[in-house]
Amino acid sequence: MDYTNEPDCKLPLALIVNMPELKENPFRSRIVESFSEDGMGNLSFNEFVDMFSVLSEMAPRELKAIYAFKIYDFNVDNYLCKEDLEKTLNRLTKEELTPEEVELVCEKAIEEADLDGDNKLSYADFENMITRAPDFLSTFHIRI
Amino acid sequence: MRRMSMFPGSDPSNLAFTEDAIRHEMENEEQNLVKKLVALSTRERIRDIRDLPMSCEEKKHIRSQVLAFKSAKQSRQFTCFTDCSENVSLFFRRCGYSIRSVRQTLELWQGIMKEIGGKFGTSVLSYFLFLKWLLMFNIFSFLVNFGFITIPLLVYDPLPSIPPNVSFRGLEILTGAGYFNYTVMYYGSYSNETLVGLVEYNMQLAYFFTIAVYMVLCGIALILSMASSFKTNYVLAAPASSGAWQLLCSWDFNITNERAVRQRKNNLRVQLKESLSEKAQRELLTLSEKLKHFGVYLGCWLLSTGLAVGCGASIYYLCQYEQQRAGDAAGRSLLREAETLLVPFVVSLMNLVVPLFYSLFYKFEHYSSQRRQIYALVVRNVLLRMSILAVLCYYWMNVVARTYSCWESVVGQALYRLVIFDFLFLMLGSFFGEFLSKVIGTTLLPSLGVPEFDIARNVLELIYAQTLAWIGIYFSPLLPAIQIVKFFILFYLKKVSLTQNCQPPRRTGRAAQMQTTFIALLFFPFFVGALSMVAYTAWRLTPSEQCGPFRGLNNTFSVVGVWMDDLEEIPGSQWVVWIYQNVIRSEIFYFLITLIILVIIYMFWQVTKGRKELICLLKQQIVNEGKDKSFLLDKLQNLQKSQPNKPKLKNQKRHTGRRSGTSALIQAMLARQQAQNEYDDGY
Repeated sequence: MDYTNEPDCKLPLALIVNMPELKENPFRSRIVESFSEDGMGNLSFNEFVDMFSVLSEMAPRELKAIYAFKIYDFNVDNYLCKEDLEKTLNRLTKEELTPEEVELVCEKAIEEADLDGDNKLSYADFENMITRAPDFLSTFHIRI
Repeated sequence: MRRMSMFPGSDPSNLAFTEDAIRHEMENEEQNLVKKLVALSTRERIRDIRDLPMSCEEKKHIRSQVLAFKSAKQSRQFTCFTDCSENVSLFFRRCGYSIRSVRQTLELWQGIMKEIGGKFGTSVLSYFLFLKWLLMFNIFSFLVNFGFITIPLLVYDPLPSIPPNVSFRGLEILTGAGYFNYTVMYYGSYSNETLVGLVEYNMQLAYFFTIAVYMVLCGIALILSMASSFKTNYVLAAPASSGAWQLLCSWDFNITNERAVRQRKNNLRVQLKESLSEKAQRELLTLSEKLKHFGVYLGCWLLSTGLAVGCGASIYYLCQYEQQRAGDAAGRSLLREAETLLVPFVVSLMNLVVPLFYSLFYKFEHYSSQRRQIYALVVRNVLLRMSILAVLCYYWMNVVARTYSCWESVVGQALYRLVIFDFLFLMLGSFFGEFLSKVIGTTLLPSLGVPEFDIARNVLELIYAQTLAWIGIYFSPLLPAIQIVKFFILFYLKKVSLTQNCQPPRRTGRAAQMQTTFIALLFFPFFVGALSMVAYTAWRLTPSEQCGPFRGLNNTFSVVGVWMDDLEEIPGSQWVVWIYQNVIRSEIFYFLITLIILVIIYMFWQVTKGRKELICLLKQQIVNEGKDKSFLLDKLQNLQKSQPNKPKLKNQKRHTGRRSGTSALIQAMLARQQAQNEYDDGY
């Protein structure tokens, strides 16, 4: 892959995900997928820069919230439904919780954050939760 | 298109336009965005485009549209002047970017911060960021003091006037007295004359204004950072144990070390299990148990306050005893100088040992949340350190100032000793607190485990060290140099200790609020205390007669009065004298300013209250809208199912989700499309 001769080349997901900054992150493949245009995780240089600029400390809160929402939205339907939350939880706990516990936690999460009562979290619900979490700006940050 | 009706009776063939309608809607949005961006100034436009949630290509596309729009609009008003001004502003912006990128490459300790953040997470990293920030204060102070006060003196009189029988013995590094007493290290060596060289340099004014301006700038920097910290962090916060927060906001993306990630996952799992089982166990306490808890709290607080007061009193008596011993025997012997080390030794020992007692207390107390526990610990530590510092300052102001001839240098030496001993004990504390704990935790008592890095205690130690430096600036202008060396060594020491001996913190969360609390603590009481002590010295106490830049005056502040008298003779500067007489010296001015500020605070407070009510109303409105939306969607779906013959539409390509903030209209159209697809699948 030669960037100078072929500036439109795309790096495959497997290569990017092995970067030391991303290697241990449980959401690494989701992060790369949400910044790629084809949804499969192949990033061109511009998309790569986009990814790290959103994850840097200078990006504003709204931008980070939008992309965090995309990362957690596994089935890309613009809502965080229960399956999305269950997948998030499994990635965060290495699947060591029993299925009942997983379901309980996800139900509790939806109950707390869902404002308009449709049993899934829309972007507005997610953003409302983010504004009440001041640590978000510093935790949703990857240093390079 | 906007009026497209979704109610019964609508024409079914409207469904054919769904795809086009969506595309049309998106183009409309883009046009509105471009129009909005054209109306902004260049800097705001750049910032807004950068903040758009789109990919680079789309942003470039929008930007080219905006620029095309602007150039079409401006080609009619093309003048040389606008062209030149645009080029100049472009040049300055590019300079700004290159300066910023150069500054980023020169950032101190960037690699180490990344490593620490990768292994231990953001909350531990905040301690090191705080240390770096305090280091910047000291570097600035050293540069200013050295440049404005010391260099003129060295240029004018390079050799210090040391009496013949004093030579450098090694003990000076610890005591700061002896040989150092006659160098530019302390207040006493500065002259009070107007140095005549290339220019006439008034040492008195230089000394006074350098220190005053530095303290004011520090205060402003602290207030600004406190305010911005409050703004971002002090919001209507959700409790840290809520499930949604733990699930979605608590993961620290900074961590890149495999073991740390595994540990975090474990911790999260444990916390989730705890919070699930806590729901079953939330019992109400009976009255007797409540009384018992209250009694325990009261007892612990009385004990800790008593300990703090007792420490303060004992330091006072120790100082008096030391002075008696110094007063009894005359002459300067090695033993006499070594005895001056007693007070700082005892102070640092108390600062090390008594907080350990405080952390024992929490075995008896049961606080409802961990945050309250940390706050209680912090308050107790602050009380202890403040009481010791207050006693020392009182002793210096009232006893030392009346007894010694060159008392400012004596106070400066005492502060120097305190700083050095604080540093030595910090190193010892690191050794005992972390290294020994790790040895005990791994070999002798494995149940304890490897210690965690105690952020609260370490940050308080930093704040205390910085307070000593702030108090000492007036009495010893080069004390910040010692502080710089101290912080440098401390950074590397703590980093090594952290990586060798500690594990990442178990409980995550609330780091941002703790950060705000620490900055607020740094400002008040510590900085304000240091500032008030220096201000009291400058305003009330008589400077010593034989040494220092203010000898012969009634108080330090009268330097400004003398200067004003001199200025009255110079014709062009009447306005300065007028400001001094009527603004700075008049009490009515301060009274009016205070009144105005109080009124403004009251108004802002009322506005905040109104906004909070508005937030509640809006939340209720969101809930109502959600109910409306689901009602309408249900009705739509029922409608679709009740109409049998429909043209089959090809499947809508799934919306790639790039604009997650699309309007409600598009969402409704998509929902209708989905309902249609479901209906078709059903048949």
